[in-house]
Amino acid sequence: MKKKKIMKTVTPYLWLLPSILLMLIFILFPIFEVFRTSLSEVSRAGIIKGFTGLDNFAKVIKGPTFGLVLKNTVVWTIVVVGLSTLIGFALAMVLNNEFRGRKIARAIVVFPWATSLIIQAGVWKFIIDSDYGTLNTLFMKLGLISKPMNWTPTPGAYFAWECWVGIFVTIPFVTFCVLSGLQSIDAAYYESATVDGAGFWDKLLHITLPLVRSSLTVSTVLNIIYVFNSFPIIWTITKGDPANRTDTLVTYLYKQAFYKGRTGEAAAISVIGFLILCICASVYMVLSLRKEEQDA
Amino acid sequence: MNKKCLAAATIAAMVAAVPTVCYAEDTEVNVIAAEYGQNTAEWWSNFVEDFNKDNPGIKLNVEVVSWNDIYTVVNTRIQGNNAPDILNIDVFADYQADGLLLPAQDYVSEETYAKMYPSFLEQSIVDDVVWAVPDLASARALYYNVDILEAAGVKPPTTWEELTAACEAIKAYDDSIYPWGIDMTTDEGQAAFAYYTWNNGGGFVDENGEWALNSAENVEAIEYAVNLVNSGYTNSDPANDTRYDLQDMFGAGQVAMVIAPNSLPTYIAEGGHEVNYAVASIPCNKGESVSAGVMDRFMCFDNGYSDEELAAITTFFDYFYEDARYSEWVLMEGFLPATMAGGEAVAAADESMAAWVDIVGSSKFYPTAKAEWADVKQGVIDAEQRALLGEDVKTLLDELQADIAG
Amino acid sequence: MRKSKEKMYIKSARTPKEKIFRVLLYATVILLVLVTLYPYFVMFTTALKSRAEIYSMKGTLLPIDWEWENFADIWKLAPLGRYFINSIVVSGGATAIAIICGIPAAYALSRMKFKGKKFFLGLVIVSQMFAPVVLLVGIYKIMSMLHLTDTLLALVFINAAFNQAFAIWLLRGTFMSISPEMEQAATIDGCNQLQAMIKVLLPVAAPGIVTALIFVFINAWNEYTVALTLISSDILKPLTVGITVFNGYNMIEWQYLFASSLFATIPVVALFICIEKHLVGGLTSGGVKG
Repeated sequence: MKKKKIMKTVTPYLWLLPSILLMLIFILFPIFEVFRTSLSEVSRAGIIKGFTGLDNFAKVIKGPTFGLVLKNTVVWTIVVVGLSTLIGFALAMVLNNEFRGRKIARAIVVFPWATSLIIQAGVWKFIIDSDYGTLNTLFMKLGLISKPMNWTPTPGAYFAWECWVGIFVTIPFVTFCVLSGLQSIDAAYYESATVDGAGFWDKLLHITLPLVRSSLTVSTVLNIIYVFNSFPIIWTITKGDPANRTDTLVTYLYKQAFYKGRTGEAAAISVIGFLILCICASVYMVLSLRKEEQDA
Repeated sequence: MNKKCLAAATIAAMVAAVPTVCYAEDTEVNVIAAEYGQNTAEWWSNFVEDFNKDNPGIKLNVEVVSWNDIYTVVNTRIQGNNAPDILNIDVFADYQADGLLLPAQDYVSEETYAKMYPSFLEQSIVDDVVWAVPDLASARALYYNVDILEAAGVKPPTTWEELTAACEAIKAYDDSIYPWGIDMTTDEGQAAFAYYTWNNGGGFVDENGEWALNSAENVEAIEYAVNLVNSGYTNSDPANDTRYDLQDMFGAGQVAMVIAPNSLPTYIAEGGHEVNYAVASIPCNKGESVSAGVMDRFMCFDNGYSDEELAAITTFFDYFYEDARYSEWVLMEGFLPATMAGGEAVAAADESMAAWVDIVGSSKFYPTAKAEWADVKQGVIDAEQRALLGEDVKTLLDELQADIAG
Repeated sequence: MRKSKEKMYIKSARTPKEKIFRVLLYATVILLVLVTLYPYFVMFTTALKSRAEIYSMKGTLLPIDWEWENFADIWKLAPLGRYFINSIVVSGGATAIAIICGIPAAYALSRMKFKGKKFFLGLVIVSQMFAPVVLLVGIYKIMSMLHLTDTLLALVFINAAFNQAFAIWLLRGTFMSISPEMEQAATIDGCNQLQAMIKVLLPVAAPGIVTALIFVFINAWNEYTVALTLISSDILKPLTVGITVFNGYNMIEWQYLFASSLFATIPVVALFICIEKHLVGGLTSGGVKG
């Protein structure tokens, strides 16, 4: 009897074990290294010289561009996650309808996801270039413009394009998370709702949203993290140039680490980013987990 | 079905993941080399094959890494306590400062050492010791589109006044052409700094070799360059148009004049561009025209070698710098040699290269031996980009100087 | 069941309102497809141009000379076949491990009560909060301790680990939306918990599993930074790293880069088409929790 009880307490952890091991070894150890580096004095070639407390953090925060970079990161995350979630959700609703060619349409929507970010970003850089870009060629052939446009006259314009590419490649992810959630909705709900006289928005708000909430929660939380930490798009298109105007924390710390040889400061920046994410994600998760418990 | 696929894939993963078998009795030499262009990887793989055949008992491994990623790869390896034995890259001072390198004369045989241009070896001296050996160099000059300049009725400019006038004339002739190309990107913006300040009597350091980033000459030079951009004489986006973009736009006849490396002809020809161009000295404002030289190096990490291992490394360098093989290496991607014999061979093989061999001998190099170089490089690029956005050049350079030297 | 689902928006496209809806639906889908495919059109046409034409001042939509040999040349310039196999091995292996480890974890999290559940869920999210670029050095160190640098196995593990978070959260969500009654019934019939999960739960949860599968596969397929630093032998490089050979110091060969990228996109799309039907498959009636 006692043995059975022990088994019952231990079983859940056994089920978790493979997953825990995998993450412990391959992710948590490297994360620990980042924390250690952020508190150390590190030479240009990356050799750890000793403990320095919070010096790296102080240097980072005092840096003249840190505020700008932080602001960029927040704007980038909110714009990309917000818009891609909205558009991705709408798209999932569209693709959940039966229509001719749905299979093909669904396959095509995966395309931006199926190509690596570096290449996607490379193509878009190529498209919007004001000198040899293909967008100008296309619009000129279509007669929309008569001479080449400069699509990126200001750093802000570059940043807007980067956000667009971010949205473009994130949409498929959201769409498929929502689509998989939509699959599990029983059509009977809609039918009875229709009988009760519910309109499109009623059904959306009261049936669809609550039921896809769990998949939407996952996709949003992870999206916030992925987008916040996204590197290839901005790196490929502008490298954060000109003068940090399009830098986010990750591209900024990459330059600190690998271009300026300031590994300690780079680690400190990533810890700061981590803390910001932790706060945002835990607020969001506490709220949604609580809701889940109430519902259950 | 999927499960079967996955299972198969997993098994395949296990099999393929088994590390490549190495022969315990062979002395291994691991090299990380920068990828200069399309032919580098193939050249090295042939080199490795020949080397391993000719030198039984040594197993040479060469990893060719794209220039975009090489700092990431190398720094990660060093921090993971797995530095390569030999590294081919542009900078060495950071590694030297951490005591990671061996002095060049410890591992390069005297015979090979004597082949190199002394002026090149001097670029790698810290505390009177040479820490790296040059593998190749390139030099920069002004390339201009002969047809456009003729049509606009101007001669290739030699001074800044002539340059401004030429830009104006080209602009008047056809305003869809960019008269002048400027690259102030994170990629290579420090080159622009060199082109303008060196040709205005300024530069990164003063005559004593101390940082002098905010000299009056430098301020004037950067203001002049930014002014060219603001007057609409250049490519529209100097903070993002890299040297590749400029070279291709030059090839396409979109840019009329550009300062570019001696490998431009190869680049243009391989790209299939048809453009009628010629070379001239970089326009200058004060003193004589200065060409910018860029030099890359081999360095050897101190991984606690046994005598056999050190001997294997020496063999590698002897083999690499053998005259015939070395000139092949240099010609492969259109670079300039760092050894005297190489210089003769290259000049004999290609007449147009002879002039370049002279140019590189007299050109200035970045102060890469100074410990602050990485910061200076990023700092001048940042200052240029801020100046493009409208900030005051003098203030920017004063701040940079204070940051670096103060 | 499928039929009734269709009806949920369109009963029969007869009324004017329904017709307008149909037209709008098709218009949206077509617009969407065009925008999505535009970058691929650019990639494809650029891949067929010479560099001179790419940068030509007179921009062209379609290549003047269709340089099909560009597609052949990439195979000569780099061992793409080898890179391709490496990518398949890494992505396939990582997907398998991520799903095999993820399913039991998600099952425990959705069906069992135990201490530290929330902590674990939080930890999973935390594991995602550092960009891989930041973790490179740590990853490299652990891999050298395990003697796994320069092996595909290292990439398999790393990709599996990095994708645990999504797999666990998504599968947990899917499992929670499925009523446990059927598994309970199966246990009464003499199955143990594991058997009940495999025989009863997993088939019903197919759409979620497939989504997780696609997700992990795609992420592993496109991973770049870790592969770049961990792999030093040319013959072990995956496609993403291998094709950077076209992005050299002296030049970027856009036409080759795009040609090989198009080629790298094919397997993912093919995989997706193969398993898309499971995604749409939906649930058998009665399995849905009310």
